[in-house]
Amino acid sequence: MIELALSAGVMVSCLAGTFQFGYTFYIYNQLVTAVGNGGRYAAMRTYRAGSEVDLEKGRAAIRNMVVYGDAKPNELTPVVVNLHPDQVEVEWVKDKTGAPTAVHVAIRKYPVNALFRTIYLDGRPGVEFPFLGRYAPAEREP
Amino acid sequence: MLIAMSVTMLLLLAVMGLAFDVGRIYIARNEAQVFTDAAAMTAASKLDGTKAGLDRARDAVAKVPMRWNLGTEEFHGVIVEFSADGSKWERDPRDAASVTAVRVTAPQNSVEITFLRAVGGPNNFVVPAHAAAMANPVRLTE
Repeated sequence: MIELALSAGVMVSCLAGTFQFGYTFYIYNQLVTAVGNGGRYAAMRTYRAGSEVDLEKGRAAIRNMVVYGDAKPNELTPVVVNLHPDQVEVEWVKDKTGAPTAVHVAIRKYPVNALFRTIYLDGRPGVEFPFLGRYAPAEREP
Repeated sequence: MLIAMSVTMLLLLAVMGLAFDVGRIYIARNEAQVFTDAAAMTAASKLDGTKAGLDRARDAVAKVPMRWNLGTEEFHGVIVEFSADGSKWERDPRDAASVTAVRVTAPQNSVEITFLRAVGGPNNFVVPAHAAAMANPVRLTE
């Protein structure tokens, strides 16, 4: 009985730690998939830069792709629990003329609420895809 | 009691290994796949029917800034191969003008196993990934 009492503490700690890591890894893996999908979408999307509003609409569509798996979602159900569009960073890498050459998509300040401790993912996972879409500097977003 | 504890500890290690090691393996595989997707698209965008285009494709793959193992390690030993028809792949094709596709393989992503090796698992688990992309227009094919 004493042995059980002693070993139970160790085992419960191990199992709790296992859950903590396992859940964090599960969420991280989902985020890798989500930013990968967003990066691929951003790479192929037409870059419309008629105004700052159009650029922001483009970024919002990419964030929606990461968070909801759809650029124009009908249902706002995130593919990763508690992920919000404002936790997705979208940055364009541009050349000297201002034309996009690549897009960087990363997760910012996302809390993983596991059993005992909240772990914040900031800057990771992140991806960078080459820009392969059409560059339309004077066009407006529909 | 000692035997029971030994068996229990082995089972506990196996459960921890499943959560921790297998979780990391899945993440590494996913990270490698996203990297090879981005690298293949980047390389395909550089193909222009010349030898210089092939060199630019290799350089572009080397400069893709993505990492693996929870975003901490650079990819090493990345293989870039070219093809005219998507079936026969060569690292240094003689006829650059006929090249229309590129395949990127990340073969050396070796995840160090922490818990599962204590119950007879391997010391390392390699998670290779590859992706192929066509040029004109650039699109992933594998």
